[in-house]
Amino acid sequence: MADSISYFLMAWLDPSLLMLTAIGTLAGIYVGAIPGLSVTMATSILISFTFAWDVNDALALIVGIYTGGVYGGSRTAILLNIPGAPSSVATSFDGYPLAQQGEAGQAIGLSTVMSVIGGLLGTLVLASVAPYLSDMALQFAPRDYFLIAVLGLLLVGSLAAESLSRGIFAASLGAVIGLVGLDPVTADPRFTMGSMQLMGGIHYVVVMIGMFGVAEAFFQLHQLNVKPVRQNVDKIIPSLHLVLKFLPLSIRTSLIGVIVGALPGTGGDIASLFAYDHAKRSVKNPSKPFGQGAYEGLVAPETANNAAVGGAYVPMLTLGMPGDAVTAIIIGALVIHGLNPGPMLMIQTPHIFWFTVGNLALANIFLLIFGLTGIKVFAKVVELPKAILIPLILVLCVVGSYSLNSSMTEVYWMLGFGLLGYFMKIFRFQMGPVILGVILGPLMDETYRQAMSSVGDDSGAFLLALVTNPLSLILSMAVVLLLLSNTPLKAMLARRKTR
Amino acid sequence: MSKDTQLKAGERAFNGLLLLFSLGILYEAYQIAGLASINSPGAFPIMLGLIMTGSMLAILWGQRHHPKPDTRGALDEARQFTRQHFPLPIVVFSAMAIGYLVLLQLVGFLIATVLFLFVSQVYLRRGRWLASALITLGATAIIYALFKLLFQVYLP
Repeated sequence: MADSISYFLMAWLDPSLLMLTAIGTLAGIYVGAIPGLSVTMATSILISFTFAWDVNDALALIVGIYTGGVYGGSRTAILLNIPGAPSSVATSFDGYPLAQQGEAGQAIGLSTVMSVIGGLLGTLVLASVAPYLSDMALQFAPRDYFLIAVLGLLLVGSLAAESLSRGIFAASLGAVIGLVGLDPVTADPRFTMGSMQLMGGIHYVVVMIGMFGVAEAFFQLHQLNVKPVRQNVDKIIPSLHLVLKFLPLSIRTSLIGVIVGALPGTGGDIASLFAYDHAKRSVKNPSKPFGQGAYEGLVAPETANNAAVGGAYVPMLTLGMPGDAVTAIIIGALVIHGLNPGPMLMIQTPHIFWFTVGNLALANIFLLIFGLTGIKVFAKVVELPKAILIPLILVLCVVGSYSLNSSMTEVYWMLGFGLLGYFMKIFRFQMGPVILGVILGPLMDETYRQAMSSVGDDSGAFLLALVTNPLSLILSMAVVLLLLSNTPLKAMLARRKTR
Repeated sequence: MSKDTQLKAGERAFNGLLLLFSLGILYEAYQIAGLASINSPGAFPIMLGLIMTGSMLAILWGQRHHPKPDTRGALDEARQFTRQHFPLPIVVFSAMAIGYLVLLQLVGFLIATVLFLFVSQVYLRRGRWLASALITLGATAIIYALFKLLFQVYLP
């Protein structure tokens, strides 16, 4: 217990970690807020620079960026009606109308406080649930990990993409990219096309920088001349009365955020939409009609998306499964630092878990400080023209991918994935499932083969184990239900019910 | 997706290419270890190839009744695709980006970055030479100091 507390307080008491968390949070707010930049993009570029750092320093900065970035998107959603991040789409529904009614300051202040409440509740759930889940996860068989990964990819495929087929295709494409190189067991080359350079595989950071950085930068070139409407921001600190009034709703939507965030593959964007929907259904007398400046419509997504940050860390730290695209990147960083995300992390390196919990809590405190100050400077920075921003993003992408191996090959790969990502974006394929596939693909391959080996390569015994083991049965049923819910069968059943 | 969603110019061709790519993946996966064992290094890749092919077939099947783009023939569709998705700023910026990568190898990070940032900003902002020059110098100095000196990263 004393050890856990000392690990928890590590980032609070060490000046350099404190500073890195503060810098990360402040940078995250701007990254999340500036349309065209995203937390995933920033984390994937940043991670390539932190490989040589001490793991605590790297984690402190990344946690700050993640926490700040998820919140930062709300600011431009309120001020400019341009969500800075996908998790802030729902915030713009009522945030922008509030700004148009001259209440931009109140809206930003309330969203800041609510984001902090959501973030702290998410951290609390992480601290209380993860140790138990981690103990349970030690009992999981390889087939259960395989099923959880399948479930995660199906979830992100069905929720994030336009249709399940598109999501599954994108996730499988990512898994294929993740498998390029020599087979870790037999050293057979897989998808190398006879190229020596591909034997070592494709670095996942190159894929991420290409698809989130370059593709997005090129996509933004379509909106070079879009000029945002400025809003006046006055009083920003919300009254205690207003905060207390929305506290019950914020607790409910925080829980939605944590649960949705903890599902492998989902994240703040889906959590915020669920929470907004919950607020619309459950609040009978909103302050104003939803969509016309209801504070409830602002509170719900803002608490949920920040609570989802803590939630996303739960499967990452306990199962080694990414909760969303950012935690997928963090998993890669932990592995490179010699750590083993999954149930053994709590046993082998418990300090990493408690350090992360303490760091998340600290980042939320910084969020409160930075969120309620410096709004005038902020308003100027987010209006940075895209004509300046886009070339800068490209330079950062080049530096980030080159620094992985000090090789231009990575830079060309990054550009290639950028081009592929650009085409995929044009034709409505999502990037999130691709990235999760890159991370989960090798894990699925490994767990599938372990599961098969454990039953002597007998597919009948494998299928039998899926229905005789309680956990495997639940997971298998979840996979089947999720698949069925995305087929015409669901619509047919609904039609029959209404007859 | 709504059944009435109009297909974008080039969408069917792109999806067709993805189907061919998926079949290529399936072939490559089969080449790893054939169908020797359910637990071979190629077993999971074959599954992925089948899933990708199946998904693309489902996407193409689902789009068969969608309204086609308002174009007259394949050539007109190709023209519209280029106009919509590769307008002049994207083509010019792409050329600048490739030029930047070539320059990086020829003259090194500092000169290549200054040239790329300056020229691309002047083009995208339609002039503003002085502001672009100042931003370029400031941004390059910050990037160099941050990554080379603080993060101690190797620059191209």
